[in-house]
Order: sequence, then C-alpha cells, then structure tokens
Amino acid sequence: MHALFNTLATAAPASGGTFWLPRAGSTTASNVDFMFMAITYICYFFFVLVVALMIIFVVRYRQRGTTVVHHKGVSEHNTPLEVTWTVIPVILVVMIFFGGFKGYLALATPPANAYQIDVVAKQWSWSFKYPNGAVSDDLFVPVDRPVKLVMRSDDVLHSLYIPDFRVKKDVVPARYNVLWFQATTATTLDAKGEPLDFHRLYCTEYCGKDHSRMNRRVVVLNEADFQAWEKEAAVWLEKIPPDELYFKAGPKLFVRCSSCHTLDGTPSTGPSWGPYNGLPAIWARTEQGLTKVNGKPLSELIGPGKEFADAKDYISNSILQPNHYIVDGFAPGMPTFQGQLNGTAIDALIGFMKHLDEFDAKGKWKKAAADAAK
Amino acid sequence: MTTLDASRPLDIRPSADNYLTHTRGFLSWILTLDHKRIGVMYMFSILASFFLGGVFALLVRTKLLFPGEVKWMSAEAYNHFFTLHGAVMVFLVIVPSVPAALGNFILPIMLGAKDVAFPRLNLASYWLWLIGAGCVVLSLLMGSFDTGWTFYTPYSARTNFGGVVPVLTGVFILGFSSIFTGMNFIVTVHKLRPPGMTWFRMPLFLWAIYSTALIQVLATPVLAITLSLLVVERVFHIGIFDPTWGGDPVLFQHFFWFYSHPAVYIMILPGMGIISEIISVHSHRHIFGYRFIAFSSIAIAFFSFLVWGHHMFTSGQSGLMNVVFSAITFSVAIPSAIKVFNWTATLYKGSITLNTPMLYALAFMFLFTIGGLTGLHLGTLNTDIHLHDTYFVVAHFHYVMMGSALIAMIGGIHHWWPKMFGRMYSEFWGRIACALVFIGFNVTFFTQFMLGSQGMPRRYYSYDQLPGMTEAFKMYHHISTGGSYIMALGFVITGIYLLHSLFRGKIAPANPWGGRSLEWQCASPPPHDNFKVTPRVGDCYDFSIVRWDDEANGYIVDRSLDPELNPNAPKPQAHH
Repeated sequence: MHALFNTLATAAPASGGTFWLPRAGSTTASNVDFMFMAITYICYFFFVLVVALMIIFVVRYRQRGTTVVHHKGVSEHNTPLEVTWTVIPVILVVMIFFGGFKGYLALATPPANAYQIDVVAKQWSWSFKYPNGAVSDDLFVPVDRPVKLVMRSDDVLHSLYIPDFRVKKDVVPARYNVLWFQATTATTLDAKGEPLDFHRLYCTEYCGKDHSRMNRRVVVLNEADFQAWEKEAAVWLEKIPPDELYFKAGPKLFVRCSSCHTLDGTPSTGPSWGPYNGLPAIWARTEQGLTKVNGKPLSELIGPGKEFADAKDYISNSILQPNHYIVDGFAPGMPTFQGQLNGTAIDALIGFMKHLDEFDAKGKWKKAAADAAK
Repeated sequence: MTTLDASRPLDIRPSADNYLTHTRGFLSWILTLDHKRIGVMYMFSILASFFLGGVFALLVRTKLLFPGEVKWMSAEAYNHFFTLHGAVMVFLVIVPSVPAALGNFILPIMLGAKDVAFPRLNLASYWLWLIGAGCVVLSLLMGSFDTGWTFYTPYSARTNFGGVVPVLTGVFILGFSSIFTGMNFIVTVHKLRPPGMTWFRMPLFLWAIYSTALIQVLATPVLAITLSLLVVERVFHIGIFDPTWGGDPVLFQHFFWFYSHPAVYIMILPGMGIISEIISVHSHRHIFGYRFIAFSSIAIAFFSFLVWGHHMFTSGQSGLMNVVFSAITFSVAIPSAIKVFNWTATLYKGSITLNTPMLYALAFMFLFTIGGLTGLHLGTLNTDIHLHDTYFVVAHFHYVMMGSALIAMIGGIHHWWPKMFGRMYSEFWGRIACALVFIGFNVTFFTQFMLGSQGMPRRYYSYDQLPGMTEAFKMYHHISTGGSYIMALGFVITGIYLLHSLFRGKIAPANPWGGRSLEWQCASPPPHDNFKVTPRVGDCYDFSIVRWDDEANGYIVDRSLDPELNPNAPKPQAHH
C-alpha cells in the first residue's frame, strides 16, 4: 500500500466541529463534549454575574469629587449570604467532579476484546505495529471496534493525542502506558491508497527540536477495508521485485529517517546522506572508508578481516545498533530499528543510498516524475 | 489602655530626610538593612527581569505568525525562547514579585514597625536573588537551555545544551532567597504587630503575605532537593529520573509539582491580598466578609499541598490517584470563588473612585474570574484528558499568573507608588495604559482557549505538518500575536510615565486615595524608621473616619473619631 509510509498527503481532513470543539470521532467523545459544554455554560453564568454586578456597582456607587460618601446600611458581613455563596459552588463542583469521574472511568478502562496496536515513540517519529507484524507510520484503525494502544518511548517523554477522539496519554520510557478508543466514522482509500479523510495525531509532550513535527494521520477504515489493508501492509515489501525495491520502497522507508537525515547536505540532527563537509554522498564515503567514526576513518573498520565485511554490513549495523559507532561531530541519539525494519527493508534503504542521484531533495524518484511528465 | 495619645494624628508631613535621602551612595543601597530600600531594589530588579521575559514572549509570539519554518528562528532557537520566557517569568518575576518587592516595602509599615524581624536576612535574600539571576545569565552564556521551565526528565537529563546545570543552580539559589523572605515575614507578622492589631485586625494583604510565606517555607525545599537530584543525575549519571540509568521519569513530575503547584499560590495569593486592599481603599468601604477572605487564604495555602497530581492526569499514574487528585482540586475552587464574591460585595454601597490602581483591580476581577472558572475544565478528569498540554492550559495559566498575579502586582505598584517615591504619576496615561494592557491581554489569551480546545498542542514551533492544521490554527495565532503587541505597547507606556513621575511627577500627599491602614498615616515617602513610636491601631477597614483635607491636599485619617482609639469619639453617622 502506497499510503503506508507517506505522511505528506494533499487531501485535507473534513472539518466540522463547533466553535469550541473539533468534530467528535470516537464513542467517548460525546461524553467529554457534554462535560466541556456544561462547565462552559456554568462559566458563562458566573462570569456574567460577577462582571455585571461589578459594572452596576461601579456605575451606581461612583464617587464624584473628593468627598467620601457613606451609604446607609453598609454591612461588613452577612453570614447567611456568605454561607449561600459557599454552599452553591460546593454543590456545583461536586456535580462537575462526578461527571468528569464517570467519563474518565470509560476512558481509562479498555474493553477486554480490544484490538491491540503496539506503539513506539522516539525523537521524532511514531511507529505503529499491528498483531500480524505490519508496521506503519500513520495509524490505521478499524471502525466500530475498540482499539487499544500499548505505548512506550525509546528515549524521552512523548504524548499521543488525537483531538477528534478526545484521548491523550503520555508515552514514557521504561513503562507501558495504555490508551484506548473506538472510532465511529470510517473513510476509504483512493486508488493510490491515500485516505479521503483522516484525523490528526499530535505529540503533546515537549520532546526537543522537532516536537512539532511528530504529527501523523489516523485513518479509520471499515472492517473489510482494514483487514485488507492490514494483510497488505504486512507483505507489501516482499511483493516488490528486488531490483525495484530501491525506488518503490526506499522513498517510503526514508520518510522515517528524514526527521534526522537530509538528502542534500543540509545539516540536521544526524549526518546528511548527501555530500557535506567535502565528503561525497553516504554510499561513496562509506565504501571508500572516508567517514570518520569514533575518531578513526571507516577504512580501518571495513574490509576483509576487519570488524565489518563491507559497506553494506556497516550501514546495516548502523541502523540496527546505531550507537555502536558515532560519526565524528554528531552526538549519539539515533534509536534502534531492530524489530521494525527487516532485511528487505534495509536492502531497500541501502539501494536508495546507492542511487541517491536518482532522487530529489525530498526523496522523490525523479524518473517517476519524468515519466509522469511524458 | 486606650489613651488620648493614641487618637492623636500621626506625623504625615513630608520631610527632606526620608528613606530615599537618609544616606547616599551606591554602597548605602547595596548594603542597606532598610526594608524599604530592599523592597525598591527588588522591585526594579524584578521589573527588569519582566522586561526580559516579555521580550522572549514577543519573539515566541512573532514566530507563531508563521505556520512553518522561518529563516530567522530555528526550531531550536524557538525552544530556547519559550523556555527562557517561562523560567524568567516564573522564577525571577512572579514568585518573588509581590512578597519581595511590595511586601518588603509595605508589610512593616502596615504593622507600624520600623523594619522586618531580621533585616540582615532580608538583605541576604536580595543578594541571593541577584546571584540566582546571575546564574541564569551565566546559563545564557554557556549555551542556554531548552528543557521548558518544568525541566521534565529524561529530556532535561540528556539535552546537550550547556546552560542546564547553571540554570538549575540559579533556581536552587532563588529558592533560598524565597525561603529567607518567607521566614522573615512569618516571624515579623507573629512578633511585630502593633498594639490593637489582633490576628483578625490585620490588613488582608498581611494575611495573604503570611499564607504565602508559609508555603514558601514549606514547599520550596522540595524544589531545591529535586533540582539537586537532577544535577547529580546529569553530572554523575546516578539513576534517579532517567530510565537509562535506572531512574523513573514520572517521579520527577511528582517532586516538581509538589513544589510547583503550591508555588502557583505563592504567585497568586499575594495578588489577592493586594486586590483586597485596593478594592476596599478605592471604594472607601469596609471590606465585605473579612474573616471569610482571611480564612480562604489559609485554606488555599493548605489545599495547595494536596493537589499536585492534577498536573499528571495523562502521565500514566494510577487511575485512582487521578480521581483523588481531581476531587481535592475542586476544593481549591471554593475559597477562590468566595474571594471573588466578597470583592464584588465590597463594591456594593461603596464610594468608588476609578483611579488607575482601581482599574487594575477591576481588571483583575474580570480576568481572575475567567482564569479561575476555566480551571474547572482542567480539574474535571475527562475534559482535562482532552485539554492537557494544549493551548487551553496555556490560556488558563496566563489568565491566572499574568492576568491575575501580575496585573495585581502592577495595580499594587500604582497603588503604593506615591507612597514609595512621594510622586504622583499621570492618571491620564495610567488609565490609557491599563486599558491597552487589559484589551491586549484578552485578545492575546482568550483566543488561546479556542486554539487549545480545538486541539493545538503547546510548545509547538510550527503548525503546518499535516493538511488542515494551518487552516485550523493560523487565524487564532494571528489574533493572539496582535494582542501581545497591544499589551506590549501598554507596558511600554507604563514604564515611561512611571519613570517620568520619579523626576517630574506632582508631589504626592501622604494619603492620595483615602486609605485607612497605617501606611497611609505615614509620610510619602516614609522616613527612615517609618514611625517614631509604634502607633496603636483600630479597625483598618473602618473608612468612616477618612475624609478629604484641602490643606494636606489628600485624605486624612481622623484618629480622634475612632472609638477604639478615643473612647469619647462620637458614634459615626452614616449619610445619604
């Protein structure tokens, strides 16, 4: 499926929603919205009450000139009145508390039959892994079925937030946090596999430089479409002929790398795959042993009888055990992709690196664009 | 016990020998033990920090005019700016603002005392503030920091910027400055009250400062411990909060909010005290429900220690804890509501003058009502799950921290400025600036409620990654940034006319507004030792003995009419 690793869609999601709240797309959203609006109306009431009285009193009892006016019947306190305006708010907040408490119980208790998706967050990407082994960058879920996200972080705190579903939970290292929802409206995929509609997913716990670029799509499909998508997503790589892997799978896989690596030499969190600092592009500089890692050139590490048999071996190792060798001038920080990228995916990425000149700065295959132009 | 002496007017004649002129030279200020000079130095230092924090805020807001990346500010620079804005405003400005600046100046005079209980400790507290501020500047020079003012782990334990340890050291030192001030005020209030001032005769500003001081002394050490542990973890990699070394990141949040939630009340309670003073003085009317207001300060101080977990509803802490913390959180709403109702009732049948301080107090009531009420959305469990870490939270706490705490401080500065410097500022420009700040504030922050409830996360450099994001958020960001410029203009005008008044302002009378408590029965500016003899006091909210006096060109407090100071005084007659 083409949509799998492609986060840059052209279709905008359907809007809708109200002045205060975005559209509601989950079974628990209506309850949250009811509480939100109930509290908001209580706010309107008390705000108007206080401000109106304030204005009336200021206008009515304005002192003209310098003479202090002492009105009759000024009281210093009035116990019945003060008890009243203590008790009424107490009753109101107790009611609000219980409303929120009941709604929270629903949010906090995933049904036993929920469909489980494993989520790994890292600086600055999400990875969603489905029971059949499929992995995606965008979140795909079935409609009308409870979905449980079991989430952990590879590095710092993150938080998964889907405003349309009114759900949020922090994603914490060394701890599994669970979030569940049941989506209510399905969309479909077009011929290219792009969804016609989607919900937005944000990271809402500050996590460093690209915190604001951890936004992904949530695509809700009906049961049949979802089953088909899930099946396809697990095997799509294996169906591509090996010599077409680099341009069919490479760009999609690169999307995840692109949060830290550029293709045109622009500095970023990790070394660019393009030429930089006088070094050639990544494949050439690795093969020729020019890159310096841990203070020595790669030529000392790659070759017969050395630590790595060849350039491919070194790059594959860098993806799976990234903090073993660190390119000079960069800090360790790349997360491991062990268990997320299989051998075929790594082949595709290495092919992509070998043929970097066939792609533009955003990872688009130029030949495809040229064909389309014809 | 009451003698005729007690009913004699206090000396309010301005004198060439006052606290500003008593001694001269730089050293006479930096080594002074006079609470008034320390208060003034604190005030100008805090206002300078406020200016700096404001510039950071404007940079952040200006970036947000553009949905995507901009050439002139990288994502990393943006993260530094919002972090610096938060850290400077919280630790250097709002936490010390009212107690250390206005409290230092006014509290001993309100008590009829010559100084605070421990003048040297008071000076030490200011020096610690300076050292703390110096550490923040040092941190800027050493690479600054991008952790957010909350220093959440494990990010803060790992980020590569070199300013993290210096700023943690700075906040640690600032914490001790705060503890010293708090201890000093607790002892001062206990030991130095004048004859006649029982606990329930204290001006409400003193109740507020006293409650604040209790929190400062009890909560701040926890912050100091937490930040020390974080430094130990960063430097020696001992696992406390970072799971890589065996720590627990959520533990940090518990520690941090155990201080920082009470700290919210360190920031707002003194402001509430100022508002109680301004509203009763400018309404020339007895404060309504004195005991309820006083007890609500203590209640807020008490409950503030029990609600920290409401910052962590989405953190993964147990559901039971979430429920308990939500329930206790609502208990804080009650004393806050009581205060608002009491202030409103104080206006009823008052004799209200709309001078600049009063305009700020009315602005406070308007803004605090919004800030307090929107707290209900966030204390409620299921709505908080949606709103947590969005702009809704940003809007809420700016309404409380800035719209309330800072507006109260600025109102307080205007209220006591004539007392502090013996000069009047321009009422005309004061009102214009207050209106600009009020309008600009609402334009800036009310829009952020919509941004947040529509789902915009906070601390976002850009909002254009997915289709539809720009369309959903851009308009609100534009309005918000526009409002911040209006507000900035208001503050610039304020700065200009206040500085101008120092040199060219009209000479202020001892009592320009018609106040009743002791600071209005003392010359403007006060003499070096405030009062020659500790005066006896009656009911400081009984305005029936306050009247205008042409000779003084201000109001005077006619002590001979106070039945508590003069047994032969005629019973006060109500007019109209």
